[in-house]
Amino acid sequence: MAKKPSKTRKYVDMRYIMSPKSVAIIGASEKAGKVGNAIMQNYVDVGFQGRIYPININAEGSIMGYKAYRSILDVKRSIDLVVISVPAKAVPGVMEECCKAGVKGIIIVSGGFAEVGEVELQKRVYDIAQKYNIPVLGPNCLGVMDTRSRNDTLFLPTFKIDRPKIGGVSFVSQSGSVGSSTLDLISGEGFGLARFISYGNAVVIDEVDLLNYLAHDKYTKVIVFYIEGVKRGREFIELAKKVTRLKPVVILKGGVTELGASAAHSHTASLAGSAQAYEAVFRQYGFIEAKNLEELLYFAKVFDTQPPSRGNRVAVITNGGGHGVLATDALYLNGLVLPDITAESKERLRKTMPKIVNIKMPLDIGGDAGEERFSAALDILEDDPNIDSIMSITLFQTPGADEKVADAIIRHGTARKKPLVVVSTGSTYTKSHTSIIEGAGVPVYDSPDSAARALAALLWYSNYKNKVVE
Amino acid sequence: MAPLVDYEKAAGLLKKYGISSVRSSYVGSAEEASSFLKGDDPIVLKAISQKALHKSKSGLVKLNLRSEEEIRKAYADLVKRAKPLRPYKILAQSMLSGGLEMIIGGSVDPQFGKMVLLGLGGIYVETFKDFALRLCPISTYDAASMLRQLRSRKIIAPDNRSENMIAGLLLRASRMFTESNLSEMDLNPIILHDGRYDAVDIRLLE
Repeated sequence: MAKKPSKTRKYVDMRYIMSPKSVAIIGASEKAGKVGNAIMQNYVDVGFQGRIYPININAEGSIMGYKAYRSILDVKRSIDLVVISVPAKAVPGVMEECCKAGVKGIIIVSGGFAEVGEVELQKRVYDIAQKYNIPVLGPNCLGVMDTRSRNDTLFLPTFKIDRPKIGGVSFVSQSGSVGSSTLDLISGEGFGLARFISYGNAVVIDEVDLLNYLAHDKYTKVIVFYIEGVKRGREFIELAKKVTRLKPVVILKGGVTELGASAAHSHTASLAGSAQAYEAVFRQYGFIEAKNLEELLYFAKVFDTQPPSRGNRVAVITNGGGHGVLATDALYLNGLVLPDITAESKERLRKTMPKIVNIKMPLDIGGDAGEERFSAALDILEDDPNIDSIMSITLFQTPGADEKVADAIIRHGTARKKPLVVVSTGSTYTKSHTSIIEGAGVPVYDSPDSAARALAALLWYSNYKNKVVE
Repeated sequence: MAPLVDYEKAAGLLKKYGISSVRSSYVGSAEEASSFLKGDDPIVLKAISQKALHKSKSGLVKLNLRSEEEIRKAYADLVKRAKPLRPYKILAQSMLSGGLEMIIGGSVDPQFGKMVLLGLGGIYVETFKDFALRLCPISTYDAASMLRQLRSRKIIAPDNRSENMIAGLLLRASRMFTESNLSEMDLNPIILHDGRYDAVDIRLLE
């Protein structure tokens, strides 16, 4: 990464990078297998609504039916965004031309800069960006995906990676591979995406710019970050103090380095390595730390749809006894507890449940439970003041569980009275229901443990915002 | 290497921030050391040098000295061991026995800046690595949450009173570290005894 002046600077304008009205693709090509081919093909395939200008130094006539140009200077119309996919050595020259043509934003997809030791070349990219004061994303990145304007610079063919549906989660990844594989996973989840940004070497636009942009973005409800480090530590923190009060920021930090540890003379310095410092900063400033990629998804979906949590008492309803036992373990291992439900709730439950149902937590409503029992139990537990959130274990292998049960869960889980998460372990038939439940806005987990971790994260963040010490 | 702040100066700095440390004094002879004895309470002798940062590992700490005889022997041995570490000084301290040991520390992270640490102290620091870390300056909320984060919180803060005491101490230590030109700080151990605490070993690096 290039060194930047340490003085505070203004945040970079992301508008034209994210939602341009016109895009030029430099390095666009008819040749299958080329990055410039995949990017161009995607713009055509995903239905981008703006103007598209393919540019290739050897261009003749058209590319994929669009009039092609040999240089951006030949276009002679206003261009919001340029996506550059040419060999690294040619990038500075191409950038100069773009700036002369008056473009408003540049994404450099090409690799071959600081990440392979070409620090000087990257410095030239930085200098040109400074000279023309133009927003630059990358180099060595996938660029962006904006689900609303369908601006999609990913060079990953649409048949190889699914595109997530439109939603409120925005995902930022320093790494392209973590970014794209996680995007593919998100497509398989029920929740939707607002923006995806892969920022690579961060020569101009870095974590601070992106955090600021998404904090103020009206489509972003939840920010999900994969980082390997931040370049402007203090500025990142000063910004985070405000942002984490506005929106949940789920963060996964990869790449643990031990800078400085070797030079330590004290116990403190040897304990407080770089990884520990990041962890401390996340905790102190309200980031929701995920320990792995799975947790990024678990947390993203609970924050996307569920209201804040008021406490650690989690009611468990289940149509399978063993899952109730696993859920109890999972709750306590994650700092949550089973509640003592009120006498009134017990009375109401006794009236609605058959005699075989033992009125205690976890509430096992029986393997033959159908919509009626699920609905009644959810109604009663939602009213109970001793309960802060609800885990509904809904195993669709059982005879009573069907689409009516799914409907009841959706009705309760979208009411936003108390956080509600669903646990449904299973395969084809189960997934046919859970994808609908999750698509409607109720997070579904495949194990009590993952659901408990999500509820614990929700509570942790709610406490942070309310300044409650756990 | 960052210079070690002179012990008495360090203790003075702590005092300025309302952090008490155990009674101590430099001594120039075994006789002076003996005169440091008070009643039946044992004392400790330590050799302090820029060249030896781990005193106990280098045999530079003599514990539980009660008589003039013991002090004379210990003093002579310390002088012998400390010879290659000149210049050095010999420090006499009251010995606190029992009590619970914790550490409050400070270090500078290359990315984020000054950080403060609280943990189970003494010989347990390296073994259990039970500590909480925050960026300076910390708030009262941060101080409380650091303590709550420790697995050993019930040991070092068994009740509300000790919890408040430690949180207050942590805030003062963090303020001291933030406002000073220190690069590393180890107050380890801080011994909690008889409803109060005293820093027993102070290591501040500029």
